[in-house]
Amino acid sequence: MSDLPVEPVEELRDPAAPRPSRLAGLGRALLILAIILAIWYLGAFLLQLTGDRLAGSKLPFPHVIVDRVITFPGTIAEATWATGSRAVAGFFIGLGVGLLFGILMIQARWLEVSILPYVLASQMIPLIALVPIMRAILRNPELVRLYLAAYVTFFIVSIAVLRGLKSVNRDSLDLMDSLNAGRLTVLRVLRLPAAVPYIFSGLKIAAPLSLVGAIIVDLTGAQNSLGYLMVAAVAIGPSQAPFLWAALIISSTLGLLFARIVGAVERRISPWQPAFRESVD
Amino acid sequence: MTEVLGARAPAPHHHHEPLSERSAHPVAISLERVSKRFIGKRSSTLAVDDASFEIRSGEFVSLIGPSGCGKSTLLRLVAGLMSPSGGRMSVNGITPREARRRRQFGIVFQSPVLFDWRTVEDNIGLPLQVFRTPKDEARARVHELTATVGLTEFLDHYPWQLSGGMQQRVAIARALTFRPPFLLMDEPFGALDMITRDRMGSELLRIWAATPGTTVMFITHSIPEAVLLSDRVVLMSARPGRVLRTVDIDLPRPRTEAVRESPAFFEYDTELRRLLIEADGQDE
Repeated sequence: MSDLPVEPVEELRDPAAPRPSRLAGLGRALLILAIILAIWYLGAFLLQLTGDRLAGSKLPFPHVIVDRVITFPGTIAEATWATGSRAVAGFFIGLGVGLLFGILMIQARWLEVSILPYVLASQMIPLIALVPIMRAILRNPELVRLYLAAYVTFFIVSIAVLRGLKSVNRDSLDLMDSLNAGRLTVLRVLRLPAAVPYIFSGLKIAAPLSLVGAIIVDLTGAQNSLGYLMVAAVAIGPSQAPFLWAALIISSTLGLLFARIVGAVERRISPWQPAFRESVD
Repeated sequence: MTEVLGARAPAPHHHHEPLSERSAHPVAISLERVSKRFIGKRSSTLAVDDASFEIRSGEFVSLIGPSGCGKSTLLRLVAGLMSPSGGRMSVNGITPREARRRRQFGIVFQSPVLFDWRTVEDNIGLPLQVFRTPKDEARARVHELTATVGLTEFLDHYPWQLSGGMQQRVAIARALTFRPPFLLMDEPFGALDMITRDRMGSELLRIWAATPGTTVMFITHSIPEAVLLSDRVVLMSARPGRVLRTVDIDLPRPRTEAVRESPAFFEYDTELRRLLIEADGQDE
């Protein structure tokens, strides 16, 4: 055996090529943020110049928005927590239900054929139409928010899980068969690990959408929430426009954050994926 | 743990006895007029037609034939992964399906079929994990086999960090971890370059010698590979797959790369080539 030369396989990356550093990435992100702010200021300034009396509410200066957040930190934080936490909780419920549906559908062709159309049809219902129905049934805006965030996630996850569980090739299944492995073992040892990349690409979409689902419920009048802040700001009038903007910015930042967290968890759970391979060693 | 299964051939022996003695071993795998028809929506295909041959316990038998001659189908039939449409098959006196349930087969496919998310160690240990072998025992066995295939330094590497030849060695080790009486190999070196392929041939002979009593069914479309490795070669015709004839390869063991240069090797190679070409001519 010792006479066999071992192929060097780890030196694939050109050692001279600079490794993209974290700091450089952060620098670029800050630069882009600065450019966006500059354009924003310019736009807001030009709007002021036109003499429009409502210019301040159409496009308030960024610092006005920040000022509003700082002045009312309690209100904003409470609203962010109310919406964000329900979105996260709903997301996890949706993940669980989606996994369950995906695993159920893979068990038999007839199960897939009979369940899948309903899963698809469920997504044809406009979320906004679902809210009053669920409010009538659940009678609790908190629960409805949870339900909607879960509802959005569940669909994406069950489709992703189904695809992922089916992604295993025939030889792998034959291998497991030759070991006389049971269904549960095949699921645990082969199908689920193989589905991980699929599940995570679903989750990266589902995470921000679960927030959108929660906000839609807020919009229909749940107290102390990001969506409520938006509606209230519009209802009270132009002077409250910075609140609307603050809520928008917070919700999109939150959505981005969720997606990033999901990405980080994925990297941690499945470092073997082709996209992450450089970071394994 | 596999000893519990009990269906292993009784005759103890080692691999380097003359062929004439090995031919006295009991029949381990027998196929009698086996056929397999795949039925599609519009048409059906006869993949294997009237295949009969025997493999004796401890033998290394190769099936050789052109692509699409149903060799892989035959392997899947023997492995109990699919059922024949006609004929009779027996593996140590039981059906292939029953033998599969008793975990009698280690299989190596053309692609290594390694799990990306498992290290070399965990890939090789997969069968033992499925069988719930106690951890210590499993680890010892995995390390032993990893050493046999020469990958000890790579235990904690992932499959994508290995070359094609190394990946296939992991697959061979995995097939042998649970000491199956049968090793079924479906063109295991078909995707490797010629140099690696030749090296893997002698590697396999060495590994086989280190796992005494293992009966090997080896599928290939390389004539020299079949001659180098086998006690017997079963020649098959193109679709539908038929067994043309069986040729004994009476070359001394242990065989090394040097065997390739012997006149006898050359004769076998030429004869098999001629037989395959003749068969091809009859078909057209």
